[in-house]
Amino acid sequence: MLRIAKNLYDYRELMYTLAWKNIALRYKQAYLGIAWAIVKPLMLMLIFTLVRSFVGIDSGSVPYPVLTFAALMLWVFFQEAASEGVTSVVGNTALIRKIYFPREIFPLTSVLTKLVELGINFLIIMALMVWYGILPGPEVFWVPLLIAYTILAALTIAFVGAAINVYYRDVGNALPVLLSLVMYASPVIYPLHLVKDRLVTHQAAGEWSNLLYQVYLLNPLAGLIDSFQNIMLRGLPPDFQAMLPGFVLVLCLLPLSYLYFKRAEAYFADVI
Amino acid sequence: MSIIEVGHLSKEYRLGAMQGLKQTLLNSVAKLVGNKLKEPPPFKALNDISFSIEQGEVVGIIGHNGAGKSTLLKMLAGISTPTRGNITVQGRIAPLIEVGAGFVPDFTGRENVYLNGAIMGLSRKEIDQKFDEIVDFAEIEEFIDTPVKRYSSGMQVKLAFAVASSVEAEILIVDEVLAVGDLAFQRKCFDRMEDMIKRQARTVLLVSHNIRQVERLCSRALLLDHGRIIMDARAQETCNAYYEQNDLKIKHQAMMRHSNVSTTGEVELLDLFLTDFVGNKLNAIQYCADFTVVIRVRVNKPLVKPIIVFGVHTTDFVYITTAASPHEVRLLEFPCGVVEVKFVVERCPLLPGAYSVRLSLDVEDPIKNIFYGDNLINFTVVSSELQRTSSQCEGFFLLETKWNTPQYILD
Repeated sequence: MLRIAKNLYDYRELMYTLAWKNIALRYKQAYLGIAWAIVKPLMLMLIFTLVRSFVGIDSGSVPYPVLTFAALMLWVFFQEAASEGVTSVVGNTALIRKIYFPREIFPLTSVLTKLVELGINFLIIMALMVWYGILPGPEVFWVPLLIAYTILAALTIAFVGAAINVYYRDVGNALPVLLSLVMYASPVIYPLHLVKDRLVTHQAAGEWSNLLYQVYLLNPLAGLIDSFQNIMLRGLPPDFQAMLPGFVLVLCLLPLSYLYFKRAEAYFADVI
Repeated sequence: MSIIEVGHLSKEYRLGAMQGLKQTLLNSVAKLVGNKLKEPPPFKALNDISFSIEQGEVVGIIGHNGAGKSTLLKMLAGISTPTRGNITVQGRIAPLIEVGAGFVPDFTGRENVYLNGAIMGLSRKEIDQKFDEIVDFAEIEEFIDTPVKRYSSGMQVKLAFAVASSVEAEILIVDEVLAVGDLAFQRKCFDRMEDMIKRQARTVLLVSHNIRQVERLCSRALLLDHGRIIMDARAQETCNAYYEQNDLKIKHQAMMRHSNVSTTGEVELLDLFLTDFVGNKLNAIQYCADFTVVIRVRVNKPLVKPIIVFGVHTTDFVYITTAASPHEVRLLEFPCGVVEVKFVVERCPLLPGAYSVRLSLDVEDPIKNIFYGDNLINFTVVSSELQRTSSQCEGFFLLETKWNTPQYILD
């Protein structure tokens, strides 16, 4: 554990530089530059707001656009960090075959890159909050911890996915599709309390309801998005109960994912 | 304590394309059930290699294509993992395995220097300090803020070498990188390498097909052949062995080619070989030694006044030298049957290398060619005294000269 941390510290400059490369490369020769980072969540927010005007989703006390944007910025960060993490090793074939440094640098750098884009989206949500007159409480100090947790969740997928992707490129192709499905199983379009209402309060699935709700919460993003909305928009502390199942899952899977990556790493240069 | 210690190192690769998911699953099932798999035997890129390198040694690694040189370097640099055996390296390794591996075409020269420097393990501060020196060495001051994709390939390699060679590491691994840029820049790279080696006393591993370079820079050289170390000695000795190995290979290739023979059918060539003075057949001739040529032909129609011409050419058909049978032989008449002709070549003047033999038979009155063949047999000339890399070995044969004692001339 300590060794991993030391390694990361030793290679921090390389990670900064590679992250800077990813960002600079992505927006080079693009007139709008890094503003492209906000396009995806913003467009989705507009679409969802439009759809909601037909189907009616109860967003509680918070205006729907800002509620769904908060969910989207976290979701898009998670989704892109995970799927770029998965393709990061294969995408750096030239480096893998020529130079050695710890290979986990690649997935980590992808996450770091996405963090910058997340930062830009924070500016947008702040603008939206000003527009709707929402003032965050002292709970916002939870934000860094929530983001750290999101990173861990993304890395859980990224490590194992990146390693398998070296052998079977199917993973890199399948993952974005799968993740966009998971979005519907996450409280992005709708808030979490609607799910809780149906399952826990109304017992919509009969005796399975409570179990089903816990299964729903195994998705780390379910609890995360809800808590993020809590601290940013509702002035409430994070809902630890809702986060617990997902957190336990990540805590169990992340070490396995990392170990698998480290075991496979030795053969990357031969197979890639 | 050795700075690099390699013990019983082997690396195997599976031949053929990677198996699909289905095959992998089927194989795992078969393995579980205990069936034998129909897998091709693995390819041994490196086969049980052991050596150690001391601090400050400059070691060349030579060998034919696919001998395992680059695989070995990759293992040492930690890029690839051994199948068996172990490697211990004390100190930081700077792999110049392929310069410019991390270049991004869309980035400017400046950005690439920082990026590539970071990949090579330089800190930002170090790059800041060395930036001017790097740009200066690469001779691209005016283009430093232009995207690298607009550089000529020579400029890219220059910049890449400049960055890579500014890494300060105890161990340098260099793979064929000195052959970059124009002649003047190659010279510069070579000087920088020599400086790093001789003045800064770094440990260097150099892989090259440029044998002169290896001999000049290295104190010791390893000769790899099909994944094994077949020689580990002083650079000169190893280079000589490599040349001999190469000659054999060229000779072998020449033997695979068909001889070009044209004949009227009046004679057939039965046998043609070289022997030493007691009659043992030779494949390799000692430089400056005597050898005998034996020619056996079956004569189908009596030949009057035959002329036998024996010639030597290189494997790429540069005719070097020729000997025609003298007058006494020409006076003879070859009756029908088998005729053996022998002659001695004294003090073989051919310099070490691979050669081929041509043979021609003519008759006088009227002059007519009845047999001609080249690339008939192949042989090598070897020498234990001559350094193959020295200028004494340039060319094909020894020029016999008589030297006067140098005289001092008053002016």
